[in-house]
Amino acid sequence: MIRRLLPVLILLAIWVALPQFLPRNITDLLVFAGIYTIAGLGVSLLLGHCGIVNLAQAVFYGIGAYSTAYLTTEMNLSSIWGFVVGAVLSMATAFIIGWPVLRLTGYFLALATLALSIIGNALFYQWDWLTQGTLGIGGIPKLHLFTYALDTPNRFYYFVWALAFAGIVMSRNLTDSRTGLMLRAMRDSSEAAVSLGIDLQWLRTRVFVLSALLGSLAGNLFAHYSSFVSVQSFTVEKSFSFLLISVLGGVRAPWGAAVGAIFITVVPEYLSRLGDIHQMLFGLALVLIVVFLPYGLAGIVDLVKSRFAKSVGADHVR
Amino acid sequence: MSGDNTDILRLDEVGHHFGGLTVLRSVSFSVPENGIVGLIGPNGSGKTTLFNAISGFLHPRTGTIRYRGNALGSLSIQERSRRGMLRTFQTPKVFEHLTVLENIMTGCCKQTHTSIVQDMLHSRGSNRARLAIHDRSEVALAKFGFQSQRDTLAGNLTAGQRRILEIARAVVSSPKLLLLDEPSSGLNPDEIEHLRGWIVQLRQEGMSILLVSHDMELMTVTDLVHVLYFGEIIVSSDMDGIKNNARVREVYLGV
Repeated sequence: MIRRLLPVLILLAIWVALPQFLPRNITDLLVFAGIYTIAGLGVSLLLGHCGIVNLAQAVFYGIGAYSTAYLTTEMNLSSIWGFVVGAVLSMATAFIIGWPVLRLTGYFLALATLALSIIGNALFYQWDWLTQGTLGIGGIPKLHLFTYALDTPNRFYYFVWALAFAGIVMSRNLTDSRTGLMLRAMRDSSEAAVSLGIDLQWLRTRVFVLSALLGSLAGNLFAHYSSFVSVQSFTVEKSFSFLLISVLGGVRAPWGAAVGAIFITVVPEYLSRLGDIHQMLFGLALVLIVVFLPYGLAGIVDLVKSRFAKSVGADHVR
Repeated sequence: MSGDNTDILRLDEVGHHFGGLTVLRSVSFSVPENGIVGLIGPNGSGKTTLFNAISGFLHPRTGTIRYRGNALGSLSIQERSRRGMLRTFQTPKVFEHLTVLENIMTGCCKQTHTSIVQDMLHSRGSNRARLAIHDRSEVALAKFGFQSQRDTLAGNLTAGQRRILEIARAVVSSPKLLLLDEPSSGLNPDEIEHLRGWIVQLRQEGMSILLVSHDMELMTVTDLVHVLYFGEIIVSSDMDGIKNNARVREVYLGV
C-alpha cells in the first residue's frame, strides 16, 4: 500500500512546490497546460475507449469560453452561470450532432468532426453580436472560489490542476468500471459487443457528450484565466492541438493527457531560446515521439518497467 | 410446419438475395422451447446468412422470423440479444485485449445498469454492479474450465479455447435461445466431448439451442436436423434419418 502511495505522494509534493520555484511565465504556461489537460482528457476518452478521432474539441472549448465571456460581461451574471450554460449547451450540441454522426466509423467520422470544427469556427466568427468576432470579448472577471479570488497564476494553478487531477482519477475509474469494460470490448470487436446486447451508438454518444463537457469546462477556465476571448482561440488548429495532446501523451494511461499538455505548452517555450530553429526542433520531437513511442510519452513508463523487469529476471538467472 | 405456441423461434418462408444471387429461398422451420435443432449443409448453402438473419445482422427480404411469438422485423441486434437470443460466430470473436475473465464479464454487462457518472465517481452502485458481474462470471469461468487462464489475454488463447470462451461469454447471461455457429470446429476431441456435455447441460438449464455444424458426431445431441442446400431445406429428420437419407448422402456427405 505504502509502496503504491509513495510515488503519488512525491508527485503531489512536487506539484505543490513547483510554483514556488518556477518563474511566473512558466507557472503561467502550466496553468494553460492544466486547462488543456482537461480538454485533452475528453479527446483521450474518445480515442482511447472508442477509437474515435475527435477533431471538434475546439468547438466545445469555444462554447464554454463564450458562455463564460458573454454571461459574465454582457449579462453581468455570476461565473457559475457560465459553467452551467456552457455545460448544457456543449452537451446538447454533442448529443444532437453525435447521435447521427457517430454512426460513421474511421476516417469518415474523423472528417465529420473536422467539418464540425470548421463550421463551429465559422459560426463563432459570423455571430459577432454574441462573440464580438475577431475583436473578442475582454474584461472577463477573475474566478472566485467562494470569496477567494483566483487572481494570480499561482492560485489558478492549484485550482486548475486539482480539477485536472480529479478528471484523471475519474477517467481511470471509468476504465475499470462496467461502462469501461463495455467500451474496451467495443473497441476490440464491435460486432461481438453488439451481439452481447451492448448498444454501441448510445455508448459512443454518451462518451462524446462527456468529452464535450470536459471541453466546455476547459473553455470556461480559459476565459476566466485569460480574461479575454476571441475567435482566434477556437480554430481548427486548436482542435488539432487537443488531439496532439492526447496522442503525444498516450491514451492508454489516464494521465497521458497531462503529460501531452505539459509537453506542448512548456517544451516550445524552452526550445524558443535556441532561436529560429525552435519550430523545426519541436516538429522533429513530435515525429520522433510518434515513431518511437506508439503509446505516447506515458508509454515510456511501461517501457522502463518492462526493461527493468527483464534485467532483474536476467540477474536472477545468472 | 406446426405453428403451436411452444416454439421459441419460428421462420416462415424466409428468403434473401444479394443482388442477383439468391442465398435463401423460402426457408421455414422452428426451434421448440427447450429443444436442440441442428442445421447442416455444404459450404455456401446459406447457413451463415440464415444465422445473420435470425440474429439481426441482416434483414431478410421476404418472410417472417418470430421469436417467442413476436415477429422480429427490423429489431436491432442488441435488442434481440437483450430479449435473450445470443449467438456465437463462425470465426470466434473474442475481445483479444481483454482477459478471459473480462471477456466473460462483458457477457453479463447488460444485466445490470450504471450511469457513466456513477462509474466515474466509483459510487457504491457502480461497485455493486461490477461485483455482481464479476461473481457471476467467476462461476461461468469455473464451469467452462478456465480457472488457470483467468487473467490470460484472450488474444493468447488457442483457436479451440477462443471458441469455448465465446460460448461461455454467451451463456453467462442465461439466454433463452442460443445460436451456435460451428461450435466444434478447431476443437480437439476432448474439447468436443466437453462441448457436447455443456450443450446437454444448457438444455437442462432451460435453454433452447440452434446448432450449425459440420460435425456429425456433435449433431447427435439434436432432436431434429434440417439440411440446407442452395438456400432451401431439402430434408428434415432426426440424425439417424439424416445419415440414412439418400439425398443427404448425395449432396452433403458426398457418398
